[in-house]
Amino acid sequence: MFLTRSEYDRGVNTFSPEGRLFQVEYAIESIKLGTTAIGIQTSEGVVLAVEKRVTSTLMEASSMEKVVEIDRYLGLAMSGMVADSRTIIDHARVEAQNHQFAYNEPIKVESVTQAVCDLALRFGEGADGEESVMSRPFGVALLIAGIDEKGPQLYHSDPSGTFMRYEAKAIGSGSEGAQTELQEEYHKSLTLEEAETLSLKVLKQVMEEKLNNKNVELAAVTPEKGFVVYTEEELQRVIDRL
Amino acid sequence: MDVQQQVRSAAIEHRFDPYEDNGGTCLAIAGEDFCIIASDTRQSNGYSINSRYAPKTYKVSETSVLATTGFHADGLTLVKRLDQRLEWYRHAHEKEMSTPALAQLLSITLYQKRFFPYYSFCLLGGLDPEGKGAVYSFDPVGSFERETYRAGGSAASLIQPFLDNQVGWKNQENADKSLPDLETALRLTKDAFTSATERDIHTGDCLEIFVVTKDGVKVEQYQLKRD
Amino acid sequence: MDHFPAHWGKPRHEQQIDQYNTMPLYTNVQKTQAASGPITHTQSPVVTGTSVIAFKYKDGIMMAADNLASYGSLARFRDVERLIPVGEHTVVGASGDISDFQYLKHVLDSLMTREFYMDDGHVLGTPHIFEYLWRVMYGRRSKFNPLWNSLVVGGVHNGERFLGYVDLKGTTYKSNTIATGFGGYLAQPILRKRVEGREDELTEEEAIEIVDTCMKVLFYRDARSMNKFQRAKITKDGLQISEPTSVSTDWAFAEGIKGYGA
Repeated sequence: MFLTRSEYDRGVNTFSPEGRLFQVEYAIESIKLGTTAIGIQTSEGVVLAVEKRVTSTLMEASSMEKVVEIDRYLGLAMSGMVADSRTIIDHARVEAQNHQFAYNEPIKVESVTQAVCDLALRFGEGADGEESVMSRPFGVALLIAGIDEKGPQLYHSDPSGTFMRYEAKAIGSGSEGAQTELQEEYHKSLTLEEAETLSLKVLKQVMEEKLNNKNVELAAVTPEKGFVVYTEEELQRVIDRL
Repeated sequence: MDVQQQVRSAAIEHRFDPYEDNGGTCLAIAGEDFCIIASDTRQSNGYSINSRYAPKTYKVSETSVLATTGFHADGLTLVKRLDQRLEWYRHAHEKEMSTPALAQLLSITLYQKRFFPYYSFCLLGGLDPEGKGAVYSFDPVGSFERETYRAGGSAASLIQPFLDNQVGWKNQENADKSLPDLETALRLTKDAFTSATERDIHTGDCLEIFVVTKDGVKVEQYQLKRD
Repeated sequence: MDHFPAHWGKPRHEQQIDQYNTMPLYTNVQKTQAASGPITHTQSPVVTGTSVIAFKYKDGIMMAADNLASYGSLARFRDVERLIPVGEHTVVGASGDISDFQYLKHVLDSLMTREFYMDDGHVLGTPHIFEYLWRVMYGRRSKFNPLWNSLVVGGVHNGERFLGYVDLKGTTYKSNTIATGFGGYLAQPILRKRVEGREDELTEEEAIEIVDTCMKVLFYRDARSMNKFQRAKITKDGLQISEPTSVSTDWAFAEGIKGYGA
């Protein structure tokens, strides 16, 4: 794949003769360098689990945030260039609040996902020469989890601005193995508790370090509590079940 | 008055007033599983009747109906804008906007023109997501409230006390304070407008009644005096 | 007494001024003028036309307007056409400021030309022209720079008769009988009596007779009118705007009028 690249991988908005946007493809590639993140949808709620690479014992692991809240019933996990996600998160939060303000109702998970994806292709110069937001595509993939009138949902979005709904999805460096594992283990009658353990079990298999309550982050969206990131103690209780 | 004074007062008098009061009355009553929104179709300007049939109540979706009184052009423009927002909402969220959501949208749409207001007194009626009748009343700059009944427009002061008594059970002892059934609500509406037509010169010609139920919106017309 | 509840408890209006009339003619007043700001001619009519009348009849729409353009009380121009064709099946009639109307005429002509060049088989019918005019009028009033007119749009579209009104504030309505300006007080009652409920029976001859009656009453009582007017009829076969005509009048009754210093 990386062999015969020529001038077509320079401009972010230039198609190659085969009809490809290389910069976008490279951005998607960059996700595979990121940490693994897993999302599992159940009828009781959605679970998000991410791996954190704690590169030094002196590092404060809790300061690394890869699962964030968007709205009371909405959260997302990311993989790739985490700094890029700030723009996306801000946009998603504004979009959610704006919907609440305009219509006095919570926004749908799909609408937030769509709003996020609308941002993804705003790189390079615009058609009318207007100032663009970014100079290159985003380097992050997202797992967006939430609950709305249609129940618990999980969406995946990548730097091309494509999004799809999944019952269970893994992204990042360990995604291939993790996805295969999820494929085998997932079933529609999974409980939230089972999903918690499954997500960590799968994460454990693809992680290089030994999994503990510092180098993973777990979060869930449930109708009862909304979006919650697990504390180290809560996380430990899940790890103890493995 | 000397000539110069005359000219000055005339100049002030001629300052363009962008508003007009086109009269008309509207009413909305919510029931357990229905809502009726009614308005007369007369449009007037001062002592003149512009038209005997210039509707000011519009079906905006399968679950909501909007009635406007005040300045007709502003009301019409407002409805046009809301229709557009409703369409965008359908495309963006793949669902119909609920009546409470539309009420909030209408409120901010009105407030956005706080310093050059839409001179419209709006009544929004329909069903909420639970299927219950809902009435929202607004002032021209977006203050709003959910109620079970409300009269608006030029004969509001004539009809509101009547509704307070007959629908709100005000000043009635031992009333069971239940919501009206459809038949009662329709009868009260027709009576209210027949009486308003007698006393308010801006109300009359024809009454248009919108009935919202889970089966959709039905319109019925009822003739009023044309004098 | 004041019959408008909305006015109760508020100061009375000093005097009512005819909105469609030229302002006091002596506009070249200095000094004290500054206090009320300059007189802006876009915000008041100068050369004006009076009533336009229109109604539905069996075959379509009948309209009429006289050929006078007044400058205050001066009968300034006596051959102004205030009924104009727009497309094949629409006539727009105007009262109020003549220059604003001539500008509108230009806008409409450009619009129709643009549409014609498109050559896509799409034609602007009467309701479309009406809606467009409404947006133009409402847009201008919202910028506090109104086009000082009351317009009547009449036509036939898809076999349906269309008759609508738009004015400087963007107020619109559709009705079977319409009369602007003084016509609203003098001609409208006659039209309502003779047309309402008989829209589908009135023949062209009757319609013309009604127009003439109205124009005669207007000429007798409206001091800004003239006994030279044009009729327009719009049917499914197209539109026709007549040559200027007049009605016979009899002023003998004036001899019998007592008082008024006569």
